[in-house]
Amino acid sequence: MVISVSGLSRRFGSKIALDGVSLELSRGAVYGLVGANGAGKTTLIRHLLGLLRAETGTVRVFGLDPVQEPVAVLSRIGYLSEENDLPGWMTVDELLRYTRAFYPTWDDAYAAELQESFALDPGTRIRNLSKGEKARAGLLLALAHRPELLILDEPSSGLDPIARRDILGAVMRTVAHDGRTVLFSSHLLDEVEEVADHVTMISRGRIVLSGPLDDIKTAHRVDGRVPTLNEIFVATVGET
Amino acid sequence: MKSSSPPSARRSAPSSPAAAIAWELQRRHRWGLIAVAAYLIVLAVVKLVVRARGRAVVFGSDESFAFAVIVPLDAILTYCLALFTYGLSGDLAGRPSMFPRRLFTLPASTAALAGWPMLYGSIAMILVWAAARTLVVWPSGIDTPVVWPAFAAAALLAWTQALTWMPYGLSGLRVILAVLWLATINSIVLLALHYDASERVMLAITVPQIPLAYLAARSAVARARCGVVPDWRGAFAWIGAIARVRRGSRSGNFATPERAQRWLEWRRHGRTLPALVAILLPFELALLFTTGGTPALIFMILLGLLLTPPFMAAFVAATVRKPDLDGREGRDDYGLAPFLATRPLSNRSLIAAKLTMSLWSTALAWALVVIAIPLGVWLSDTWPVVIDRWHRTVALMGAARAAVLALLIVAAFVAATWKQLVQTLYIGMTGRIWIVRASLVLTLVLLTAIGPLLEWIGSTSAVRAALWNAAPLLLGVLACVKLCAAAGVAVRLFRSRLLRDRTLVLGAAGWCVAVLALSAVLSWWIATELFPRYLFVFAAILAVPLVRLAAAPLALDWNRHR
Repeated sequence: MVISVSGLSRRFGSKIALDGVSLELSRGAVYGLVGANGAGKTTLIRHLLGLLRAETGTVRVFGLDPVQEPVAVLSRIGYLSEENDLPGWMTVDELLRYTRAFYPTWDDAYAAELQESFALDPGTRIRNLSKGEKARAGLLLALAHRPELLILDEPSSGLDPIARRDILGAVMRTVAHDGRTVLFSSHLLDEVEEVADHVTMISRGRIVLSGPLDDIKTAHRVDGRVPTLNEIFVATVGET
Repeated sequence: MKSSSPPSARRSAPSSPAAAIAWELQRRHRWGLIAVAAYLIVLAVVKLVVRARGRAVVFGSDESFAFAVIVPLDAILTYCLALFTYGLSGDLAGRPSMFPRRLFTLPASTAALAGWPMLYGSIAMILVWAAARTLVVWPSGIDTPVVWPAFAAAALLAWTQALTWMPYGLSGLRVILAVLWLATINSIVLLALHYDASERVMLAITVPQIPLAYLAARSAVARARCGVVPDWRGAFAWIGAIARVRRGSRSGNFATPERAQRWLEWRRHGRTLPALVAILLPFELALLFTTGGTPALIFMILLGLLLTPPFMAAFVAATVRKPDLDGREGRDDYGLAPFLATRPLSNRSLIAAKLTMSLWSTALAWALVVIAIPLGVWLSDTWPVVIDRWHRTVALMGAARAAVLALLIVAAFVAATWKQLVQTLYIGMTGRIWIVRASLVLTLVLLTAIGPLLEWIGSTSAVRAALWNAAPLLLGVLACVKLCAAAGVAVRLFRSRLLRDRTLVLGAAGWCVAVLALSAVLSWWIATELFPRYLFVFAAILAVPLVRLAAAPLALDWNRHR
């Protein structure tokens, strides 16, 4: 298993962010994590990255506790967040040189290829990039060390269609390379439907539906018609 | 069409920009304002009791009056300065304006955005003085001024607001300009007091400053609202160029993650202290040309030069201890930025990068001072006075002791600079804004109290004698407290596995060697029967940093894995 989460709960004050979440992700597939805003997607991802300590339950990534062994876990993960808080004072070139130092598996040729395809000028400061360009720069950093696990937290939220296409293309390429694993969090269900093999739906901190996308669609077929993920989401989350 | 908002929301909703700004200020600072009100109520009750008994109030000394009245009033005025400048939520040493950016998008004019906090601040200052003037039981013999201190405080606040909201071309320039400008204004007021200026003259000096400060503040907010942040860092690029030549990594890649992190820390914070020192040094050295060869003045200026790096380091430390990357406004700026938190780098290495950067920053700042002082002394022709004082010191204590004294003084100032930069890391690294604010308030209170306390000790022979007799016990207790705290931190570090066993042992051994070396030098240099040797050991234990430095990785761990 790449990710193994068991009985994970988390509270922020009186608000229950995660409530007994259990989840297992195996190697070589794209997992879509979907849910409404505030459902607990980002909280779950922050636990996987070791940024939050499990209050109850356990979190294992590559069999390791990300809080106890952050270096061993994070060096195998590529992460892109909606927040995209890259240091604005760095140039693109400096950002690449800085990030490269942390990953022994960094692929210079692949980084150069991505930089060219994303049209990122090495001399431009990050603060002067557009939102879409910043997202591409973040994606480049997440991909260039060819991570075993790629975690994308609402990566295309607020981006133009071209930037979204780049991100989805990168997800497909990552999976095509050596069967790597992708965890893709989004509330844009069309996107998830386009790339995900498995879908996990989360609502109010609880997993309400999880399984292969095809199985989910089959199980929710009404009068022989296969519903869209959007329809399944509305039906499922509306019921909870 | 009926409003859908609940009745309670409608009742409390501010109805104008002025009301909204006032509501936000009082809402965010309600606990502080309640504390101020509570103190004023205590003053009023004391006065009522005193009046009821019909007794005259006689304070034992000026210091006891200062403790009871002046220190709390100073603390209230300092708090008001922080509150009405929005200074508690910004980066004092940063280049951008400290005026909250979230207010720029409100449909309110720039004049209103700048004007209302200034008006509220001025009113608060005037009310605080009016309350103090009315409620404090002033001792007989003190000729308490009537109005002008209220306007002096309002002018001080207004200028502080203008200087705080101004965007600057260099990091730390705000601190330098604020210190210089406010010291100038205070000097004018003190000069007028020295010459027994009347109430009218004092009003004539202080009142016109308020509209002038308002114009400056409005211009500052207008510039900030347009996103204007001048950038003069290019003029100091040579400092960075020196570092790059030394490192030789401009075009190459970083060999290790630790090097990359050190580079990031240097770029973010390393150049600020040397740049600030480089700005201040010419002004301080220029003073050497005005001494007329007076030894007292020359040595006072040289002492000021030596104090510059540690003094500026105290301000730079406020940014060094921030684990965030770009100071994201409207958020908990002390939380570790996800970009950094998700780098595969241990907490140990993240802290080590900051410590190493601080060492290089201190070294570069002191290199500037060490080059500048002989140059300034030579150019100003004050060299003979310095040489003469040196010869007299050598004659008094011998060449070896004099040389050690000089080295110890310089080493103490250098160490103090580095210590200033890193000793509050453990506070910022917690990532909890309430801890940072609480430590800031505590520091302000201590700074306000320390002056009268020292004066009280200095002027009261009984207290001096008691302290002298109790010094071994006090030092011993403090050293024990420090060692117990260090043991607690070491156990936590060992259990959490944040540091390798080898690092823990080497760190402890290094600290012991430093303590023994310092106590040996002190006992050799101060060879007298007056002080038993164990006192030097206690002094060395207290002087060499340990607990707060060691707590920084624990604080970062608490921040990074919440």
